[in-house]
Amino acid sequence: MLMAVLISNSVGNILVERFNGVPSEERLHWRSFLVKLGADNLQRASNEELFVASHKSVHIVYTVLGDVCIYIVGKDAYDELALAEVMFVITSLIKDACKKSPTERLFLDKYGKICLCLDEIFWKGIVENTNKERIKRLTRLKPPGEF
Amino acid sequence: MADSSGTTLMDLITADAPPPPAASYSSSSSVSSTVAGQQYQPQQVSTKTTLGEKKSKRAALLQIQNDTISAAKAALNPVRANIIPYNSQKRKKKPVSYAQLARSIHELAATSDQKSSQKQLVHHVFPKLAVYNSVDPSLAPSLLMLNQQCEDRTVLRYVYYYLARILSDNGSQGLSQGGGIPTPNWDALADIDAVGGVTRADVVPRIVNQLTTEAMNTDVEFHARRLQALKALTYAPSSNTEILSKLYEIVFDILNKVADVPQKKKGLFGAKGGDKESIIRSNLQYAALSALRRLPLDPGNPAFLHRAVQGISFADPVAVRHSLEIISELAARDPYAVAVALGKVAAPGGALQDVLHLHDVLARVSLAKLCHSISRARALDERPDIKSQFNSVLYQLLLDPSERVCFEVILCILGRYDKTERTEERATGWYRLTREILKLPEAPSNSKDKSQKTRRPQPLIKLVMRRLESSFRSFSRPVLHAAARVVQEMGKSRAAAFAVGLQDIDEGVNVNSFSDTADSVDSDMNDDSHPEDIRKATSMSNVGRGKDTIAGMLASLMEVVRTTVACECIYVRAMVIKALIWMQSPYESFDELKSIIAAELSDPAWPATLLNDVLLTLHARFKATPHMAVTLLEIARIFATKVPGKIDADVLQLLWKTCLVGAGPDGKHTALEAVTIVLDLPPPQPGSMSGFTSVDMVSASDPKSALALQRLVQAAVWFLGENANYAASEYAWESATPPGTALMMLDADKMVAAASSRNPTLAGALTRLQRCAFSGSWEIRIVAVQALTTMAIRSGEPFRLQIYEFLHTLAQGGMQSQLSEMHLSNGEDQGASGTGLGVLITPMIKVLDEMYGAQDDLIKEIRNHDNAKKEWTDDELKKLYETHERLLDLVSLFCYVPRAKYLPLGPISAKLIDIYRTRHNISVSTGLSDPAVATGISELIYESKPAPVQPDTLDDDLVNAWAANLGDGPAMNRVNEFLAGAGTDAPDVDEENIISRPSVSYDDMWAKTLLEAPELEEDDVRSSGSSSPESTGSVETSISSHFGGMNYPSLFSSKPSTYSSSQTSIREEPPPYSSPDRYNSFENPLAGRGSQSFGFPDDERVSSGNPQFGTALYDFTAGGDDELSLTAGEEIEVEYEVDGWFYVKKKRPGRDGKMAGLVPVLYVNQS
Repeated sequence: MLMAVLISNSVGNILVERFNGVPSEERLHWRSFLVKLGADNLQRASNEELFVASHKSVHIVYTVLGDVCIYIVGKDAYDELALAEVMFVITSLIKDACKKSPTERLFLDKYGKICLCLDEIFWKGIVENTNKERIKRLTRLKPPGEF
Repeated sequence: MADSSGTTLMDLITADAPPPPAASYSSSSSVSSTVAGQQYQPQQVSTKTTLGEKKSKRAALLQIQNDTISAAKAALNPVRANIIPYNSQKRKKKPVSYAQLARSIHELAATSDQKSSQKQLVHHVFPKLAVYNSVDPSLAPSLLMLNQQCEDRTVLRYVYYYLARILSDNGSQGLSQGGGIPTPNWDALADIDAVGGVTRADVVPRIVNQLTTEAMNTDVEFHARRLQALKALTYAPSSNTEILSKLYEIVFDILNKVADVPQKKKGLFGAKGGDKESIIRSNLQYAALSALRRLPLDPGNPAFLHRAVQGISFADPVAVRHSLEIISELAARDPYAVAVALGKVAAPGGALQDVLHLHDVLARVSLAKLCHSISRARALDERPDIKSQFNSVLYQLLLDPSERVCFEVILCILGRYDKTERTEERATGWYRLTREILKLPEAPSNSKDKSQKTRRPQPLIKLVMRRLESSFRSFSRPVLHAAARVVQEMGKSRAAAFAVGLQDIDEGVNVNSFSDTADSVDSDMNDDSHPEDIRKATSMSNVGRGKDTIAGMLASLMEVVRTTVACECIYVRAMVIKALIWMQSPYESFDELKSIIAAELSDPAWPATLLNDVLLTLHARFKATPHMAVTLLEIARIFATKVPGKIDADVLQLLWKTCLVGAGPDGKHTALEAVTIVLDLPPPQPGSMSGFTSVDMVSASDPKSALALQRLVQAAVWFLGENANYAASEYAWESATPPGTALMMLDADKMVAAASSRNPTLAGALTRLQRCAFSGSWEIRIVAVQALTTMAIRSGEPFRLQIYEFLHTLAQGGMQSQLSEMHLSNGEDQGASGTGLGVLITPMIKVLDEMYGAQDDLIKEIRNHDNAKKEWTDDELKKLYETHERLLDLVSLFCYVPRAKYLPLGPISAKLIDIYRTRHNISVSTGLSDPAVATGISELIYESKPAPVQPDTLDDDLVNAWAANLGDGPAMNRVNEFLAGAGTDAPDVDEENIISRPSVSYDDMWAKTLLEAPELEEDDVRSSGSSSPESTGSVETSISSHFGGMNYPSLFSSKPSTYSSSQTSIREEPPPYSSPDRYNSFENPLAGRGSQSFGFPDDERVSSGNPQFGTALYDFTAGGDDELSLTAGEEIEVEYEVDGWFYVKKKRPGRDGKMAGLVPVLYVNQS
């Protein structure tokens, strides 16, 4: 189960969040926990360097890309390695959408597009598409396999 | 960052706004521009245009609050504040509220055929709207209109996106499952838009209908939209059975048409270059399976399984993944049915084999799980052919290029189960890993070269070790973390194998020997054949050649694991330490592990949660291998000394206790020593007694950890007093030595010598406690004296006497001068009791005095009777018995003793007491006369917890007493939860966190209830008489303090007029305290009561007024904390009216737990 995907800016303001199966009263805790992780570790990190954390049986993978920090939380089948794969898809799509490593402005300019991409990568806590071309087609309302 | 710093999410909403409609909106937009900082809660700002004064007052309050915050931010971040002018200039653009966006959609939907409208939608409206987690139902008609009339693909894609979100909403507070900014409620728009009157209940059926029609549309041109429509439908919550059955219908309908066609054209590398028809089919297959995956599993439905099995042969890799996931879930429930259904697919050359080369990691992971479930299924014991078939696929996946897949296979082989962890399964897992070989099946003839190389059978263990070692050389943290986790699981299985005592565990076996002979043996991977094979193999080979033995390989792996401790990521290190703890063999020295842990713990970077996790790992390890108790205690000791401030003292104590019990008769002494070594540490006060350093350097430099260490020492002292008798197997009531009156004549030195020769464990504990009672800090001295008393009461002689004498001296203050020369010269009078413990000790001494006195009397009496040769009369016996009972009562006040066995008058009294008891038919069981019962302690003590399995020497009663003391409570829960591997709840962030702790805690709730209480009272007052608008003030108070209290990083930096906002934590609306699942998940029973007493005004007061009754005309969803959600037709009681709003009460609380609040007047039909 992919429990959460959070994207924040470099000072910890959350730009995008998608939760699945996390009770609303726990979301605040997750937010602060993740943002703190980022604040502690991502300051000097290089782009797309993967970081890992865990809490009980939950896995967390996070990274920084330009001005935004991305956090993914998963459990069961979505362990560190699976999350790293998802992270790879998300970062490369954000890069593509912003044409380069995103500044916060760029990210926000492409906000809608990024939301649509995320919507194709996973929904209802299950990872869907990981192929970049396919995701791009789907966000443009084209079928996954084109004829 | 500097140039983009002004670009927060709010800018996105506010910049380049579509022209905001001017009419009838001025008041609200002026508010929103002044309080831009609160924009993220537009419903608070712009919704209540009808509330006139109420609103403006609230706005003013928000403004004040906002200003204060901005000022504070500016003060805190002077540098950042410099940029304000630049920023405020930028800010002149009109802000866009949700309401404006919504309005734009309505307008643009009407002109969707124009290019400019489409552009506006795609570039401005839709992306900005995406910051909310959903849209309100009132937008649905416009979205549906766009869906039907617009032809722009991007617009349509967004429309599906938003329709899906409306479907996924669970209806209340605009707060969907997904998080994000709560969507303002549709009634926010009621005053600016004529669409009002649309509820979720109205629009959802319309959306579902339209999407259903689209999903069934077979038109080729409509193909892509069909897929999206189906996808959007799956967003509907699975609790909605109507939509669910519709979805099943659509999915199976599609599959009926496209799944049965044989896949002739399936190329090796995907479906590239297929014809149009097959691509469309493949797309539909994908969409249908993707939807099916998100529907609840339907195990009883053969069609479900059938379609999923067909899915394995589909061309679309994602479809294959989904079908494998579905099947592996089904296989976990009914492996037999799945295995039969898979039939041909699983045969060599079948579709299942193709998955091995499928370019989708998660699909291969699911394949591994599927193979594991089937190959280990008991239900398939009679079909070894099927089992070995799947087993072979599983082992082949071990060679998978992806670590994710390979690790999953290793875990499967090791017998790691998700929920029900079974030791035997684990042990077999270890056996399998160390003994079995991977023998690739005969490769198809077309790939000769490859098969030549790989066909040579390989022992699994060798492959696994090689793979893990290379993973540990990776630079990627996730890979390192995962690899360490796998090693940890290996350790668990290995520990289980040791615990079960699996034969042939010999790790000196050369693993190559088996693969060398494997060809001739022609094994079919059947478990039973192995032990023999191995023996054969062992006898053939000339004993292990160093590195190729299991032990050798493990050693080299562990070497690599240990070096990983150097990783800078704390979480990786924690996992490595856990792996090391699990891989620690009971028979090897653990010095290295100890020094690694000690070195690690000196690093201040370790967060408390991780340390406690490691501590819990020790618990788990103890549970798996109880005979390692002493080793584990020694490790736990490092935690106690190095990081006393960070670990959970309860969990540590529980570990002490369980380890002590588990150490067995031989280990008890060492175990107790390991615990009490804490007492030998220098006291936390820096400077004093610094020469007293023990093996471990204590790190209690800061006040917090010094305090924690002191508490820990206190706990240890208590523990020692409570358990020393158990550890020493010394009980007064089991003592073989008669109460040596002669011993009394010995002097103190001889007595100590006698005591330590008789029971060194107890004597050692006694000495430690005596030192604590004398030289520890005030708190520790108190606990030490109490501990000593406990020991005095429970121990036989000479220990009791020894303690008695010590306490006596301590009370008189003489001890100090005896033991310490410090005070000799200072000439000051130390007071009646130099230790300051006189008051505390006196009653203890009194009990012991009474016991000794009574014993003396008894001996005198016995002598008298013996000399006079007369029988004991009933009265004399009664007197004796009463003394016995009285002393028992007294003793029970100090510590627990088994009443049935304990003899305060000494063993000689046993016979006489027994006579009296039998004569008067007194049962030994305790009655109400027991002071423990009277004082309520008995519930603790006698609570019948199932006692752990104990060695014979253990006193059951005492163990029960421990269990009662330590067994329940949070520590035990934490340990059990950890052992069960559960826990997905949110982590707590440390207190020293920069961001203040988000607070939707119980406290907050409580505070909120309190805040609301006066409001309601006020309302009540009002309802009975005047209805002044002033009264709304309290509502605002509650709201503003509510927000004032929230201070966490957040969503959508509110970006108010000052720049500095990006520095500080920004507030967002917390999950409303009245959200529906809130109450469900709230376990504290007080909460219920709290809301009872505060939330609901007293009945009598209500009835004293003149309430009007009515019914709700429509559904209404509360948009703020002061509002109340209604369901159409619900009966309500109208309290009063204010500015177009009724304050109403419901008969029973709604789903959000609220009973009273504001609703729009138009929603109520007054009767």
